[in-house]
Amino acid sequence: MEKLLEILEEVKPGVDFEKETELVDSGILDSMSIIRLVTAISDEYDIEITPLDLVPENFNSAKAIYDLIQKLSD
Amino acid sequence: MNFYSYLQLLSFALVAYVIYLITPKKFRWIILLTVSTAFYLWNSGILTVFLLASALCTFFAGKVLSRFQERFNEEKKELAKEEKKKLKAYYTKQKKLVVLIAVLLDLGMILVLKYTGFFTDCLGALLRPFGFNSEIQPLSFALPLGISYYTLQSIGYIVDTYRGKYKAETNFAKLTLFLSFFPQMTEGPIGRYDHLMPQLTAGHGYSDERFIKAATLVLWGLCKKTVISDRASYMASTVFNNYYNFGGTSVLIAVLLYTVQLYTDFSGCIDIMTGIAYLFGVELSPNFRQPFFSKSVGEFWRRWHISLGTWFKEYVFYPVSLSKPFMSLSKLCTAKMNKYWASIVPTGCALMVVWLGTGFWHGADIKYVVYGLYYFLIMLLGMFFEPLFAKISAKLKIDRKSHICTGFAIFRTIVLVCIGMMLFRANTITDFGAMLYRIAACQDLNEITSGYFLTFGTDWQDMIVINSGLVLMLIVGILKEKGKDVTGIIANSKIYIKWSVLMGLILAVIILGAYGADYKSVDNIYAQF
Repeated sequence: MEKLLEILEEVKPGVDFEKETELVDSGILDSMSIIRLVTAISDEYDIEITPLDLVPENFNSAKAIYDLIQKLSD
Repeated sequence: MNFYSYLQLLSFALVAYVIYLITPKKFRWIILLTVSTAFYLWNSGILTVFLLASALCTFFAGKVLSRFQERFNEEKKELAKEEKKKLKAYYTKQKKLVVLIAVLLDLGMILVLKYTGFFTDCLGALLRPFGFNSEIQPLSFALPLGISYYTLQSIGYIVDTYRGKYKAETNFAKLTLFLSFFPQMTEGPIGRYDHLMPQLTAGHGYSDERFIKAATLVLWGLCKKTVISDRASYMASTVFNNYYNFGGTSVLIAVLLYTVQLYTDFSGCIDIMTGIAYLFGVELSPNFRQPFFSKSVGEFWRRWHISLGTWFKEYVFYPVSLSKPFMSLSKLCTAKMNKYWASIVPTGCALMVVWLGTGFWHGADIKYVVYGLYYFLIMLLGMFFEPLFAKISAKLKIDRKSHICTGFAIFRTIVLVCIGMMLFRANTITDFGAMLYRIAACQDLNEITSGYFLTFGTDWQDMIVINSGLVLMLIVGILKEKGKDVTGIIANSKIYIKWSVLMGLILAVIILGAYGADYKSVDNIYAQF
């Protein structure tokens, strides 16, 4: 989780990712940030994220992103 | 569509609604399909064959994709992990081929019908230096109504079926209804199968609330179109077509009026169509969310023509960005560049594909390609300078969320959007450059004080009506921004309030609408796309 928070901070600095639960719905992460994030986490965790995974529910919070990584790593 | 075509459409919709209500619930979707087909035949005649061809292609592509998925599910049961992988790779390849053929057929139709003129024009220009002066004449075809909208709907459905988002439709008539639902055929919005189909086939009954909400939306849209947009169009078109006779101030006012015209025309039409669809119990996807409250150009495009932006995001930007070549590019950038550039370069490339597509979708003209690239450049620069702006703000202790900063960001966005609108409307790119120069040079400031600009089709009475309408739109916009469901509030208010609102809107259209012998009819701008 710490590594993920580091990546998130690099993609979008200055956001309290541990508390924020509406990253996509409130517009903090737009489609460009999501792609930069997906590229970074695909590299870091060696997983394949498909367009079907790119739904707001998977990116609204750090925990949701972490859960997606866990699911795709299995 | 002009005022009279809207009256015809509303009469048509009301008759269709009565037939819909007296039909047993189970068969109501057939009424929707029948009236949609009648509407399409009425508007496009023989060109309806292209819609039918697209529906057939979409239906069979969906069927084949579903069949492949079922076969895979069946055959994988007994297999070990490695063999499952191989089988999956085999079926994925087969499915990709089906998607490719279906999308090429769909795109082929729109490319031939909409872009042949552009391609032959380009070919002529390329061959002219070699002495072929008149051999290649530009070709153009009549366009079936809504081809740019239903083609994207069809591609969305095929890709979603490929991705396994939902099962393919098994009833051809229902799929045809999804592609041809008549309120969507003029200017969209671009619908999704999983969102629309359950609503189209539900067979909704009558309710007072639904009727009042639908009527309010239709009349509000009609007000925007006939009271504001059509009035603004007269001066805007005069100046854009003869800008060389005007100074910078008149050109600037024409650009602002065109921005107002386009917004009220497009969003007005969408309101009318959303209201008509709502009458039948179908909630279309929202296409606008107060775009002129946006703090950045990126946000503007998330609030303006939402269904097109979302379509390009889901079916172009995401797949392109996550494709193997782009992921390889991203890895290469990570290896060779610092983090900042490594994150900007691949996203920027994918963004360029999206904006070229968006520009080209709007029309078969190099002007629209430049229009798309204009927004691409702004977004790229925004991404490029964002860290610098963040650093400067932090150093100078500027609160970027303060009212002043927010106000400035909104103003900056409006300026950039108005320049985009000028490019969109100008007859050629050269005209756009000349008009921009006139504005920048502040030529003939006295055109405002002398009232010269009010003598070209949009006079001071028109200006009062337009500005009053804009103030009302601003109030409604602020209420919506605060999360208020304005039509819902009206529908649930006391009977004398709701009928006063409806009567007020009807009177506004009758008294203030720009129609009749003194006015030229103005077609919907986005209907030509």
